Amino acid sequence: MKSGYLLAYSLKKWGWVLLIFGAALGLVVLNLEWEPDVFNLVVPVIIDNPVMADLVIFRMQEQNLLDEMLGGLVIVGSMMVAFSKEKVEDEYIAKIRLDSLAWAVYFNQGLLFLSLFFVYGMSFLWVMIFNLFTLTWFFIARFNWLKTKINKSRKDEE
Amino acid sequence: MKNSLKVERARHNLTQAELAELIKVTRQTINAMELGKYVPSTVLSLRLAAIFQVPVEQLFQLEETDWT
Repeated sequence: MKSGYLLAYSLKKWGWVLLIFGAALGLVVLNLEWEPDVFNLVVPVIIDNPVMADLVIFRMQEQNLLDEMLGGLVIVGSMMVAFSKEKVEDEYIAKIRLDSLAWAVYFNQGLLFLSLFFVYGMSFLWVMIFNLFTLTWFFIARFNWLKTKINKSRKDEE
Repeated sequence: MKNSLKVERARHNLTQAELAELIKVTRQTINAMELGKYVPSTVLSLRLAAIFQVPVEQLFQLEETDWT
């Protein structure tokens, strides 16, 4: 079945590698606030609003890019896992994929809504950081759970 | 919507896997259709009708609830 937005099936396992590597190392780096100098690079910054300093717009400046690189790996890895084709693609799996995506948006936004009212301060910043990735993760979880469920029912019914 | 996929499959002596291969879907899709959990597209319905050599209306029938 043709689809305009799906990636090759072979990318799924590499997606898992990037996702797990990026997420595991990312958590360590965030917790230790580790910023090795080798990752200090000059980048074109569009906007920066530092504490106790003036707003910066469009400037080349040095940044430590380790956490950005790991975050990037997690985003790319998650997308590869989420949107690579199945071994056999058909219209039923396409429907399950879209249903799972809709479910994930509802679930993610529901949690975000609750967090708005019940989580404050630095903890809310952590919610926002995780929320960069959770929509795709919830989708991956829901889609894979439904796939497992239909696999089981197939064995029962045949 | 009701369907007689299971009956036709039995009549043609096909397993879910064999039928799945013929119409280029997974076995899960055949199972979901037989259980009424998934309503196939027009293309897939016509492919099924072609394999079983019956009109598509013989495979799929509307129910009262399909009009509401």
